[in-house]
Amino acid sequence: MADSSGTTLMDLISSDPAAVAAAASSPANNNSTSSALPTALGKPVASGADKKSKKTTLLQIQSDTISAAKAALVPVRTNLMPQKQKKKPVSYAQLARSIHELAATSDQKNSQKQLINHVFPKLAVYNSVDPSLAPSLLMLNQQCEDRTVLRYVYYYLARILSDTGAQGLNPGGGIPTPNWDALADIDALGGVTRADVVPRVVQQLTTEATNTDTEFHARRLQALKALTYAPSSNSEILAKLYEIVFEILDKVGDSSQKRKKGVFGTKGGDKEFVIRSNLQYAALSALRRLPLDPGNPAFLHRAVQGVSFADPVAVRHSLEIICDLATRDPYAVAMALGKVVAPGGALHDVLHLHDVLARISLARLCHTISRARALDERPDIKSQFNSVLYQLLLDPSERVCFEAILCILGKYDNTERTEERAGGWYRLTREILKLPEAPSVSSKDSNSDGKDALPPKPGKDKSSKAKRPQPLIKLVMRRLESSFRSFSRPVLHAAARVVQEMGKSRAAAFALGLQDIDEGVDVNAFAENTDSMDSDMSENPFSAGARKTSLVSNGAGTKDTVASLLASLMEVVRTTVACECVYVRAMVIKALIWMQSPHESFEELGSIIASELSDPSWPGTLLNDVLLTLHARFKATPDMAVTLLEIARIFATKVPGKIDADVLQLLWKTCLVGAGPDGKHTALEAVTVVLDLPPPQPGSMTGLTSVDAVSASDPKSALALQRLVQAAVWFLGENANYAASEYAWESATPPGTALMMLDADKMVAAASSRNPTLAGALTRLQRCAFIGSWEVRIIAAQALTTMAIRSGEPFRLQIYEFLHALAQGGMQSQFSEVHLSNGEDQGASGTGLGVLISPMLKVLDEMYMAQDELIKDIRYHDNAKKEWSDEELKKLYETHERLLDLVSLFCFVPRAKYLPLGPISAKLIDKYRTKHNISASTGLSDVAVATGISDLIYESKEAPAAEADTLDDDLVNAWAANLGDDGLWGKNAPAMNRVNEYLAGAGADAPDVEEEHTVSRPSGSYDDMWAKTLLETAEVDEEDGRSSGNSSPESTGSVETSISSHFGGMNYPSLFSSKPSYGTSQDRYGASRFSTPSTTGPSIYEGSSSPIREEPPSYESSVMRRFESFENPLAGQSIDYQEENRSSSGNLQFGTALYDFTAGGDDELNLTAGEEVEIEYEVDGWFYVKKKRPGRDGKMAGLVPVLYVSQS
Amino acid sequence: MILAVLFANSEGNILIERFNGVPAEERLHWRSFLVKLGADNLRGTKNEELLVACHKSVYIVYTVLGDVSIFAVGKDEYDELALAEVIFVITSAVKDICGKSPTERLFLDKYGRICLCLDEIVWKGYLENTDKDRIKRLVRLKPPTEF
Repeated sequence: MADSSGTTLMDLISSDPAAVAAAASSPANNNSTSSALPTALGKPVASGADKKSKKTTLLQIQSDTISAAKAALVPVRTNLMPQKQKKKPVSYAQLARSIHELAATSDQKNSQKQLINHVFPKLAVYNSVDPSLAPSLLMLNQQCEDRTVLRYVYYYLARILSDTGAQGLNPGGGIPTPNWDALADIDALGGVTRADVVPRVVQQLTTEATNTDTEFHARRLQALKALTYAPSSNSEILAKLYEIVFEILDKVGDSSQKRKKGVFGTKGGDKEFVIRSNLQYAALSALRRLPLDPGNPAFLHRAVQGVSFADPVAVRHSLEIICDLATRDPYAVAMALGKVVAPGGALHDVLHLHDVLARISLARLCHTISRARALDERPDIKSQFNSVLYQLLLDPSERVCFEAILCILGKYDNTERTEERAGGWYRLTREILKLPEAPSVSSKDSNSDGKDALPPKPGKDKSSKAKRPQPLIKLVMRRLESSFRSFSRPVLHAAARVVQEMGKSRAAAFALGLQDIDEGVDVNAFAENTDSMDSDMSENPFSAGARKTSLVSNGAGTKDTVASLLASLMEVVRTTVACECVYVRAMVIKALIWMQSPHESFEELGSIIASELSDPSWPGTLLNDVLLTLHARFKATPDMAVTLLEIARIFATKVPGKIDADVLQLLWKTCLVGAGPDGKHTALEAVTVVLDLPPPQPGSMTGLTSVDAVSASDPKSALALQRLVQAAVWFLGENANYAASEYAWESATPPGTALMMLDADKMVAAASSRNPTLAGALTRLQRCAFIGSWEVRIIAAQALTTMAIRSGEPFRLQIYEFLHALAQGGMQSQFSEVHLSNGEDQGASGTGLGVLISPMLKVLDEMYMAQDELIKDIRYHDNAKKEWSDEELKKLYETHERLLDLVSLFCFVPRAKYLPLGPISAKLIDKYRTKHNISASTGLSDVAVATGISDLIYESKEAPAAEADTLDDDLVNAWAANLGDDGLWGKNAPAMNRVNEYLAGAGADAPDVEEEHTVSRPSGSYDDMWAKTLLETAEVDEEDGRSSGNSSPESTGSVETSISSHFGGMNYPSLFSSKPSYGTSQDRYGASRFSTPSTTGPSIYEGSSSPIREEPPSYESSVMRRFESFENPLAGQSIDYQEENRSSSGNLQFGTALYDFTAGGDDELNLTAGEEVEIEYEVDGWFYVKKKRPGRDGKMAGLVPVLYVSQS
Repeated sequence: MILAVLFANSEGNILIERFNGVPAEERLHWRSFLVKLGADNLRGTKNEELLVACHKSVYIVYTVLGDVSIFAVGKDEYDELALAEVIFVITSAVKDICGKSPTERLFLDKYGRICLCLDEIVWKGYLENTDKDRIKRLVRLKPPTEF
């Protein structure tokens, strides 16, 4: 119909009947009526003129609503062109009136014909039926004799019943109709609401459904059917329905044994039996639509009876009901089924039933019962059901066979249980099918023909071969291989899905270490063990006939191992990638990913995927789906992290425009968490690969061929690539600390360590030697902060701040320094060796990030300042030998809390552990807390909680479900569904929208809100998660810290001095050795002289207008300066104290290590908490200690901080 | 559950739709998704050649019959193969009613009868009758098995 565009369905259906006559192939139907049509439909309008006056208002409203609704109906239809309408389409009101009128004259042939040919079909176009039609319909129902009219009447009555009243919510569809009830209220005269008519309709239908007249029974069935459409919320109708159904079943349910099944399908048979079977069918169909009643024995009893019914559909329904019941109460079902499952029983007859869905239900039922825990003490019953299940593997229909395979594999519903899956793989590879010597085998041959609704496959003659016991795996493999040769896409898709499920079960088996699943063992061995059987030779000709691959794999003389069977299957699977349908290909790739085992080379898979991705026809949703498969695969086998990340990298580089950055992040994240300590570095490297991608060159098409090059040839994918880079940068910032296991609150190196690393190069060198992972991440981020596009740079700056806040000392200082440089601009060449630029002018005046960075810098500044202050105070107290007063502690604690609040604004830190004032503050804070009974836990004082930001975070709480330990696929999918969706199934959480918006660049122009965004990223909650695990593992340390909380103030005070002085003796150039500073005043002044050039730098006391410096600033230097400037009087005391301290050392003493200590230099010594040491002497706050026996690094003696050892 | 059965003409106008258990706000997405799927893939497809798609655990099987494309969407036990069965039953019923592969006009002429057939084939989200004769009898308000 060329002219049909821009018309509604009603326009189409009621357009010029001349075309009808031309197109219609059955003139018999049309001859008499086609000429009558226009007048018939036009007439009511004219003849009903008197009525019209009454109903003008209503009709006006109705037709208005309808025309509005029509316009809105099909959004796909775009051009509502003004069209020359030959025929005015019939309005709903006209149809309704026709029904009213024709119902009155329903005894006339002409009226019936009009109803059948015009009115009812056109009414079907609308998605709901006006309840005011009900009286006419009921009248028709009672008076009309014409079967077709009656059939329509039942159809529409059912639709009135099913209409839930809410407009457009009924299951139908079509042109939206007005809200009838509302309209009826307007029309005060003749208004009829659903509430008025539904009881009448139900009553009439009920009467008909209970009518036992045999002549009436066809209508009875339809009435019963129409009744089931009533919404299940209406308990009154439900109760009535149960009553009717059970009443029918009471009458017809029992005596089904008197006839055998041979009858059905053939016409004839005695009338009573047929009626009975029809009623059985109707009753069970209705029962199937009713809510399950699991506790009701009558329900189960009737359902079990249904298995023996003659009507195949009734049998299917009863099996479906039983299957549902079995998941709730397998024991009761198994007991009830006791007789029918026995050989020759009704269940075995179902095997030969010409109804695919019935056999599917049978497979599920058998699976449920044979795996039921409740039946553990009845192995006989279980094995009966199991054998039925195995026989279904031979089913001619793919659908049934696949269902049986899935059941055997342990894939029943969407609940994934690893043990069940692993057991499934074991069963599949080990067990054999032994057909019982029952008549069913012989009857199978006759019945199996033509069972299959799908195109028949070669090799149907299995049943004759299957008498011999066969290993399940061989049967399954053969079946799958032949299915992969099918031309039908659904079959290919389903087969690939089965292989995927097989891979899942196999992975589960390996994960659980069911390692006796030796895949090199001859599968026939199991069969031979249990039963003597023919040699392999006799079997091979069978497979050779139809299937080449079987011939290859089963070739004479070779042994059938699981591995070889799998290999040949996978060969076939791989060839299926050539299918033209992307959905099939996607499923095949998923199957390949699942069947990939960690020790195999993944090159083949990688190249398949790489070449597939070059195909532009892949939709983004599918690709993200495949990425999620990688994710699930990783969770099943964490060993595959590297492989999977490599594959993910192919996605990131080949189709950056199509994959969702969030899905990729999810994958990275899971790999990072699950990869274990060794894999973390690799995982992080995989992420940084994205950052190392060269920026897309506009217009270059060369990237399409190579895996490593980015194919971002068009602006859209370039943008997407940028988003990907953004995501990677952000990910690095969030997770680098985790990957590197480097935390400020766990750092073994006290903050003073940075003192010696004034030189930037040295600092970087020291940092990277300490923690290469973190240093690598830092370098990459620094590069991004310089050379990325502006959006990337913003995120890089944020990421760097996060790392600064979370990392321990050399790193924090390094970042601080870097951010300073960034805020000031300039000095780029020093930090970025790569002079690549995207062409954007980075400007001499700065990187454009100053506004963004300054609040971050301010927080860091405040932290450093407060640390200085604290050290000053500590020293003061030490020197004056004063206890800390409560006031002072309070002040300190308040500073601590304030800084925590500030820091929490930028990123998540564990409040209970994080010490913005440095490790030395721990004891004092703790002291204050114990004194005042303040819990260290987060509580409401957390800014994130107080401001509601945390709600934002926890809204997307599904993310933590992705943790490696919990193999919950569904949650991940649910979460990813929100992320990876194209909006089609959109249920995006609001927080997610915001994040996505932000990722889409919405935040790019709003640096002033970046703080909030930083916190509201979804994986804030993720951080929370790993932080919690950290808290748990670090609990011991905390205990230790508390116990030593009241150690002498002397030792507290000396930590700073001791550490810094120690560096004087290290290999690092002691530019700033604090030894002199605390030793003699002369030396100290020397040191500060030395530091003077650099101290003008970052200190905020100096204002931020300091000139750019070559030397990285050291906050220690500002400490010094301030010491000089306003603390000189104390300095002398400090020296005294130190000297006194030194003089007291030298006695041989023993001690115990309080904490773990990691050596920071050659002459330092690693300590493990609790270790006994001999203290040789003390130097400037360091003990030279000897261990009783060498530590892991083989060292016996070295320097450790005084604070770390308790002297005994 | 058969989530949806949908008929569209070659221009993407929806002729019949039956949704089961799909919230009203999602139907719009389904309509446009299915129509787009058909527009992308059905060109040049042979009559009754089955095409497949899936999204998460929802399966879609669709085909073209004359001027009309038919989509079936299902989940759980209604996977690709079961939906293929559903489509098979539907197409054979439609062919039966129309006497051949339907043109759009023919399809619309038989609209009412097709709706009734569909009503017998899919009943509240489950496949009900698959047998052609049986469907024919039920549509004529005759008992499913005749004596």
